[in-house]
Amino acid sequence: MSDLVTGIRAQVRDLLARRRVEYVVGYETGSDGVNARPFFAYTTEEADRLVFDNTCTHNLTKYLVEPERRGSTIGVVVKPCDARSLTVLLAEHKFPRDVVAIGVVCPGIVQRTREGGDGEAPQARCQVCDQHTPPACDILVGEATAEGPVLDQFARLAPLEAQSAAERSAFWSQQFERCLRCYACRQTCPQCYCDECFAEALDPEWVGVRIGRAENWLFHAIRCFHLAGRCIGCDECERVCPVKIPLGLLNRKLRKEVLDRFEYRAGTRSDERPPLETFRKEEKLDLA
Amino acid sequence: MARVGVFICHCGSNIAGVVDCAAVASAARRMPGVVHAEENNYACSEVGQAAIRTAIKEHRLNRVVVASCSPRMHEPTFRRTVAMAGLNRYLMEMANIREHVSWVHGDDKPAATGKAIDSVRMAVAKVIRDERLTPGKVGITKRALVIGGGIAGIQAALDIANAGHEVILVEREPTIGGRMAQLDKTFPTLDCSACILTPRMVEVGQHPKIRLATTAQVEKVSGFVGNFEVTIRHRAKRVDHSVCTGCGTCWQKCPEKVPSEFDSGLGKRTCIYIPFPQAVPNKPVIDWANCRYQRYLAASGAEKKPPQCRICEKLCPAGAIRFQDEDSVVTEQVGAIVVSTGFQAFDHSAYPEYGGGRYKDVISCLQLERLLCASGPTGGEVVRPSDGKHPKTVVFVSCVGSRDDRVGRPYCSKVCCMYMAKQTILLKEHDPEVQAYVFYIDIRAGGKDFEEFVRRSQEEYGALWLRGRVAKVYEEDGKLIVRGEDSLVGRPVEVAADLVVLATGIEPSAGADALARTLGVSYNDYGFIVEAHPKLRPLESNTDGIFLAGTVSGPRDIPETVAQGSGAAAKVIGLLNQDELVTDPMVSRVDPLRCSGCLSCREVCPFDAIGSELLRDGRTAAKVNESSCKGCGLCVVTCRSGAMNLRGFTDQQLLAEVVAITR
Repeated sequence: MSDLVTGIRAQVRDLLARRRVEYVVGYETGSDGVNARPFFAYTTEEADRLVFDNTCTHNLTKYLVEPERRGSTIGVVVKPCDARSLTVLLAEHKFPRDVVAIGVVCPGIVQRTREGGDGEAPQARCQVCDQHTPPACDILVGEATAEGPVLDQFARLAPLEAQSAAERSAFWSQQFERCLRCYACRQTCPQCYCDECFAEALDPEWVGVRIGRAENWLFHAIRCFHLAGRCIGCDECERVCPVKIPLGLLNRKLRKEVLDRFEYRAGTRSDERPPLETFRKEEKLDLA
Repeated sequence: MARVGVFICHCGSNIAGVVDCAAVASAARRMPGVVHAEENNYACSEVGQAAIRTAIKEHRLNRVVVASCSPRMHEPTFRRTVAMAGLNRYLMEMANIREHVSWVHGDDKPAATGKAIDSVRMAVAKVIRDERLTPGKVGITKRALVIGGGIAGIQAALDIANAGHEVILVEREPTIGGRMAQLDKTFPTLDCSACILTPRMVEVGQHPKIRLATTAQVEKVSGFVGNFEVTIRHRAKRVDHSVCTGCGTCWQKCPEKVPSEFDSGLGKRTCIYIPFPQAVPNKPVIDWANCRYQRYLAASGAEKKPPQCRICEKLCPAGAIRFQDEDSVVTEQVGAIVVSTGFQAFDHSAYPEYGGGRYKDVISCLQLERLLCASGPTGGEVVRPSDGKHPKTVVFVSCVGSRDDRVGRPYCSKVCCMYMAKQTILLKEHDPEVQAYVFYIDIRAGGKDFEEFVRRSQEEYGALWLRGRVAKVYEEDGKLIVRGEDSLVGRPVEVAADLVVLATGIEPSAGADALARTLGVSYNDYGFIVEAHPKLRPLESNTDGIFLAGTVSGPRDIPETVAQGSGAAAKVIGLLNQDELVTDPMVSRVDPLRCSGCLSCREVCPFDAIGSELLRDGRTAAKVNESSCKGCGLCVVTCRSGAMNLRGFTDQQLLAEVVAITR
C-alpha cells in the first residue's frame, strides 16, 4: 500500500472520528479491480476503502456543488488541478468555507479508455502539468515537491492555431456534427453548476433543442465562453465525451487567451478576482 | 391581448424624404399584434401627440410604437403622451428610423424603407412583451458636497448656501482659492485677482451654511442621486484649529524652509505654514513630511538623532500644536455633488529642447505670475531667478503642452494666448525698458474684449508677436538664445533673451482621473470629466446628481468657470428643492430560481447595488437594491445562469427583437 493511501486513510479516519466532516468524497478501487472510481466514506471503516493511484482521474469537486449537498460539511480528496477547481468555486461563493480539502501530491494520471489498451501513458493534461503539489489545501498528503519549470500548456493548440479561420471552422463543424447533446461534458464539469442550464432553458429559448449543427455549435460556444477565466484544465469534459469531441482544445484556447490578456490562471491564487469580473485600466483592450 | 398602434413620423422631410412612410405604415398593419398604423408629419408636435392620444382611445390600443427619431431626446415626450391617454408609460417603444435609417441611408431609398420596416417590426415584437412598470420614490438628503475649493467650487458653494442648503466644501490644499489665488491680474480688464477673489473666500469661511474641510479628500462615494454617502479623509493638520488664533508666531519662527507650492517653487515657506496671507482658513497646518520633529521621531533608535525642534509648540500662545494628530475618516450624507477640482499647469520638463528645469531663467507662466504679483516672493519685482537682475528681453513660447500630439496634449488650452498678452502688458508696466517677444502658432482671442486686448499688447505695449514654433533654447554668455521661426516672413529668428517664459497649458489636476473613478463618472483620454451632453447638459456628469464646474471638464477662463459654478449650483438647488425623487423602474431584477449564487454580478456592479440573500432552501441568491441600481445591465451580461434581467430590456424582449429581424 502506498504512503499516499495510508496517509489519506489516516487523515479521513481522523476527520470522521472527530466529526469534523459528515463524509469524505474520495476514490476507491472500481469493480474492474484496476481503475479507481469515486467513493463516499461516511464511517471510519469505510475510510479504509479509500485509495489513490494514477487512475484517479475524476475531479471530485463536482460533487460538492450538487444541490443536495448544500449545508453539509464535506471532506474531499483533491489533486492539484482539482484544488484549483475548489479555489474557483470558493471565489464563486458556492459554499461557505466548510469544505475540508485533502490535497494529494499527484504523480500524474494515466490515460485509460473503456476499451483499454492505452498502456500507462500519462494524460494530455498531466504531460504539461507544472503543479504537482495542490495549492491552498487544508490537509496535505504526500511530500510537497519543488515544482519543475513552467511547461507550455498550449503546445497542443499549435496545429489548430496555424490553420485559417475557415479551416478551423470546418474542423469544429465536423467535430460538433457528432455531438449527441448528451451533456456529459457539462455534467462532469465542476464549473458547470447552474440549476437551469441555458441549453435547456425554454423562456427564453437560447438554444433550440434540436440536435443540429447550428444548435450544437451554439451550445459548445456558449459553454466555452462561460468557462473562460474559470476552466482549470482538468479535461474531464473531453474524457467523458462518448463521441470523442476534443473539448479540451476549446477550453485550452480560452485559457490561453485569458493568460495572455490578463496574466491569469484560474484557481491558482485565491486572492485574485477572476479577470472577467474586474477591470484594470492597463488591461489590453485590442479586441480585433 | 396586445393591441399595438404604430405611428410613423415624417419629421418633415428628415424621414419622409428618404423613407417611404406609407409603405412602412402598410407593412406595419400586417404585423402580428398591430391593429392600427398611421403617419404623422411631426409626431412630437402637439398635433402629432394629440393624434396618438386619439388613436389610443379610438382603437383601444394598449401598446404604442412611435417610429421617429432617437429615443435620447423624445422618449420622455412620447412616454408622457401615452400616459396622458391612460396607458402605462413603459408600454411605448420607439423605432429610430431617422438617425438609424433616413440620415444614414439617403443614397438607397428602397433599402432605407426596408430597414425602417425591420426597425418597426423589432419595436412591435418588443412592445408586445413590454410590462407595466411603476417608478418608485426616494427621499433626498438636502445637503450638497462641493469637491475643490477654487473659484468654481467657491462660487457653487456660495450660491447653493445662499439658497438655504447646507454645503460641505472639500479642498485638498490647506486653503481654498485654487489657481486664481496665484494669479496677479486677470485678462482683459487687468483687475487684481486676489482683490476680487479673497472677498469670496472670506464669505465662504464665514458662511453659516458652509462647512469647510481643507486638507481633505474624498475617498469613497456610494449611493445615488439624492442619497450619496461620501467618505472623506481629513488629513492630519497637527494644529487644533478650534484653539488656534492664527496669530502667526509659529510660522514666523519655524526654522525649516521648503519651496513654496503657492509661489510655484520660486519662494520658500516654513514647515508650519499658511500658503499665503489671505488664506482661508487663516490658520496654519504642519507639513509633517518636512517637519524637523517628524524627522527626529523617525530617527528614533538611530545613534545620532537630529534636534527635536518643537519650536512652534513651545511658542504657540494658544497651545494649539498637536504633533500626534492623525488622519480622520468621516462619512457624510449628501444629496448632490459638484466636482470642481480644476487644473494644474502642464509640466514643461516634457520639452527638453526648451530647457525647462535645466536653465533657471526658463520659467513657467505661473512662475512669472508670482514674480509679477506684489505679494509674491519678490514683492512684485520681476527678476531673473538665476542672478536677481531685471530682465530686459523676455521671450514667451506658446502652446507648451497644448496643441501638441507629441506630449499627448492635442487640445488648445484656451487661456494661454490671453494670459501671454496680459503678461506682456504687465511686464512693460513694471519696467518700460522690457521688450517682449511672443512665439505663437495662432492667436486665439475669441471673447468679449479679447482681440482688442491682444492688439493693445502689440500696439500700445510694443510686444512683438512672431508666428512660429520655437525649435530650441540654449544658454550662451549669460543669455538664453531662443531659436525659432517667423513663418510669416519665412525665415529663422534668433532672440537673445534674459528670461524665457513657457506658456504651459491646462491639464486636469493630479488625481482627477482617480477621483472620477471613485465618483463613477467618465473622463476622456486626458483626464477631463465628460459632460452628459456637450451642448445641452454641460454641467452634468453622466451620473445623476454629480455636477461639473470649471476646468475639471476642459480648459476655461475665469468668467466661464464662475458661470459654470453658478450653473452647477442652480442644478443642485433645483434638485435639493424637491422633497422626493422618482426612481427609474428600468432596473435589474434577479430570478432567484435561476440564480446560481456565484455573485459575479455583485463583483461587476459599479454602483454597489447588488447584495445577496439566503433563500429558504439554503441557497444563496443575488439581491438587487433597486434604488441604487442604475440599469446599466452589466450584471445581466455577466450572469451565466440567465437569472439577471433588466426591466424594460429583458432577455425575452431583446430576443423577440432578434427573432423579428432574423426570421
